[in-house]
Amino acid sequence: MSAPRLLPLALLLTLGLTTSASAHRLKLFLTVEDGALGGYAFFIGGGRPSGADVIVKQSGREVYRGKTDDHGDFRWKPPAPADYSVTIDAGDGHWAEAAVTADRLGGAEAPSPPVETAPPPQAAPACAPTDAAAQAKLIEAQVDRAVARQLRPLLEAYDQAEGRVRFNDVMGGIGMIVGLAGAGLWASARRQKRRDDGHGD
Amino acid sequence: MAHIPDGVLSFPVLAGGAALAVGGVALGLRRMDEAEIPKTAILASTFFVASLVAVPVGPSSVHLLLSGLMGLVLGLRAIPAVFVGLLLQAVLFGFGGITSLGVDLVDIAFPGVAAALIARPALARAQGWRVGALGAAVAAAGVAGTAACVSLALALSSADYVPSLRVIALTYIPLALAEAALTGGVVAYLKRVKPEALGLAEEAAA
Repeated sequence: MSAPRLLPLALLLTLGLTTSASAHRLKLFLTVEDGALGGYAFFIGGGRPSGADVIVKQSGREVYRGKTDDHGDFRWKPPAPADYSVTIDAGDGHWAEAAVTADRLGGAEAPSPPVETAPPPQAAPACAPTDAAAQAKLIEAQVDRAVARQLRPLLEAYDQAEGRVRFNDVMGGIGMIVGLAGAGLWASARRQKRRDDGHGD
Repeated sequence: MAHIPDGVLSFPVLAGGAALAVGGVALGLRRMDEAEIPKTAILASTFFVASLVAVPVGPSSVHLLLSGLMGLVLGLRAIPAVFVGLLLQAVLFGFGGITSLGVDLVDIAFPGVAAALIARPALARAQGWRVGALGAAVAAAGVAGTAACVSLALALSSADYVPSLRVIALTYIPLALAEAALTGGVVAYLKRVKPEALGLAEEAAA
């Protein structure tokens, strides 16, 4: 029956600790820039593991293994666009995974953009404005880079927000525990009542 | 790091952890009587919330476990309380995997409960500053036990993890100190105002 005394204590502890609603989980921010896989691992709530293993797999087969640098960043340029999955293993049981599809990795290089009757490759002077295919490729690379630069903060913010501990979820969890306690009390009250009735007869 | 995600541990470790966890929960539930349910629920929600909050320490991050405090206040009933907290964290936030729930429960709850059960007779006799010191020691032992269990679970699963276990041990030291200070203060307070909250009054009366 010490619950009434414990309650304020527990509440105090709880409130003191929820002010910074951050949490404990490793997440991976993965992006593509200039045809290279890059990004970093981060703990929700702060901190980036440095020296963690970075493992890139292509359809289950390991194609690259490296380590994150002092800032938790990593970068690897794949030889050819393909579907890759990147795993960060902090080595202490923290582990995160993300995937990138081939078309984000400059998959555009494989199917050439629609060009009207590409002229045969000539002796290629230093600046050949007539080579429409090369120009289209150049423009596409520039646009990719610009879009990646602009999207990066958005993607980062999304990854951060996705892992945040939401107040609603916390309250839902506490409500669940209260409900379980209620169910337990109900069950034990029923048992008690049946026993009392049994004695009464 | 007490929340081990899915896909890290090997199957025998997972199965062993699950078996121990089921046994522990059953043992704890058998000790549960009506008067203990509210107290257990309050500490379960405290654990649920407190261990969501992580603080970056060096290359990793840590969060409170409160297993020593729960062990002292709830005894074996701490095991189902921690189980509920862990289950909700896994389902709502993806902290720790569902398959590794058993191992996580053993890692977090068992050391604190064991330390508390060992320390309880001494705590009943202790007076003055020794009460707080005992509480602190239980908390520190619980954290050390968790570090040992997590390391063991990882080392048993794959030898690749062995080099990084030293890092884990280092990050647990500040956590052990913080938990020791917190639990020491709470236990000293409870012993003064409400000794039966620590399960001491029954023994004194008996």
